[in-house]
Amino acid sequence: MKSGRWITETGSSTYLSEAVAIWLRDLRGEFRTRYAVNAILMFAVTTLIAVSFSIGSFRIGDAEQPFLYAVLLWIILVFSALSGLSRSFVKEEEAGTMDVLKLSARPQAVFLGKLFFNLTLLGALELIIVPAFITMMNYEIQLPGLFTAMVISGGLGLGAGTTIVAAMIAQASARGALFSVLSFPLLLPLMITAIKGCEKAALGTNNPGWPEVRIAIAYSVVMIVMSLFLFPMIWEE
Amino acid sequence: MIVKVLLSIWMTAIIVAAFFYADAAVGFPGETSRILFFHVPQAWVATLSFLLSMIASCIYLARRNLKADNLALSAAELGLLFCLLATASGSIFAKAAWGSFWNWDPRETSIVILLMIYGAYFALRSAVGDPDKRRVFAAVYSILAFATVPFLVFVVPRITASLHPEDTMNPAKPGMDPKTLKVFLGSLIAYTGLFVWMLKLRLRLLKLEHLREPGYIINEKTNLEGEKG
Repeated sequence: MKSGRWITETGSSTYLSEAVAIWLRDLRGEFRTRYAVNAILMFAVTTLIAVSFSIGSFRIGDAEQPFLYAVLLWIILVFSALSGLSRSFVKEEEAGTMDVLKLSARPQAVFLGKLFFNLTLLGALELIIVPAFITMMNYEIQLPGLFTAMVISGGLGLGAGTTIVAAMIAQASARGALFSVLSFPLLLPLMITAIKGCEKAALGTNNPGWPEVRIAIAYSVVMIVMSLFLFPMIWEE
Repeated sequence: MIVKVLLSIWMTAIIVAAFFYADAAVGFPGETSRILFFHVPQAWVATLSFLLSMIASCIYLARRNLKADNLALSAAELGLLFCLLATASGSIFAKAAWGSFWNWDPRETSIVILLMIYGAYFALRSAVGDPDKRRVFAAVYSILAFATVPFLVFVVPRITASLHPEDTMNPAKPGMDPKTLKVFLGSLIAYTGLFVWMLKLRLRLLKLEHLREPGYIINEKTNLEGEKG
């Protein structure tokens, strides 16, 4: 927006290098405190145990399993993500490092760095929760390739849809509750798509071209592009 | 003043015509088809105000004009009101015609998401203290929410699978009775007029509220007046 602010720029730093620097810095901070990882993972594990304990792997009949398990899996994933992903920006606000960050990197680079960080968190979450869910619930999947692609593209969409919301709520009051309230309507189309995709993977109905995966990727691209346009405005305020 | 009087006369005429001039459509239990004259215009106004709010948000982000933000806010408020009216009236019809108040019909799904977006929009507005930040955030959120709407086309089943009556109720198709069509179009005009009138009232009220805040007389008077800025 205001290009005059980066007069001192030497030309050696690109958007990507700045984004990677922010990503690595956040990862380092996360390794020291493990706040977000603990919050998200423990939320997910607790929910998974609650679901598995109260339903078990025999309660739901074989015919309903592909659909209902996909629903449960995505409810666990989405709400675990909503419990901790706002951390990436709230952290800056609480530590008072927001202004320094505004000076040291371009807005789009900050957005990308935070997006990478959130995607890393989501990747870790899915890597642990999805296999745990499959084993605990005895979820039988006919098409593991489609299932994996759906989980990965769904995770991408979760990160893409929530990162800009996190940047907004970090500057508002009542952060925790507000993050879920604002993110959920944006994530709903993605969540329904992901549930459908996982159901098809479990059932073994192979649609050529994997339409659900493509919708999730299209959703992610739209949200990331919109965020890159809109993020400078909320960042500069 | 004259607009208000004309609008109330027109509205009364439409209500009377909806019950006594137009005939009840065939194939619906009892008189239930008369909901067409109220429910559809309400849903139309709700959609119109959602669109208007999004456009005003874009204008606000581009120009930082206080008027645009006022328009976005008032359109969203009225949109929420008409959305709730459409949901309530549709729900009553659903009970009478389909047997239950709620069926997750495609249009019911989309209106629930619309209600959730409006709810989140006002939650965001009330949570941000700084007025300038509040306006920018609300505008950004409104645009983001609008960007996700096209994806509903993929997730929500096709309109053909809807429980909503299409042939006798859609004015674009030839099946509609001419009397019904007349009253329906009159009602659309009435509801749109009502929306515009309420919007203007709300905008005037917002302008007065801004004038009462001492900071705004000094800082944003030019914006409020519109011509000088």
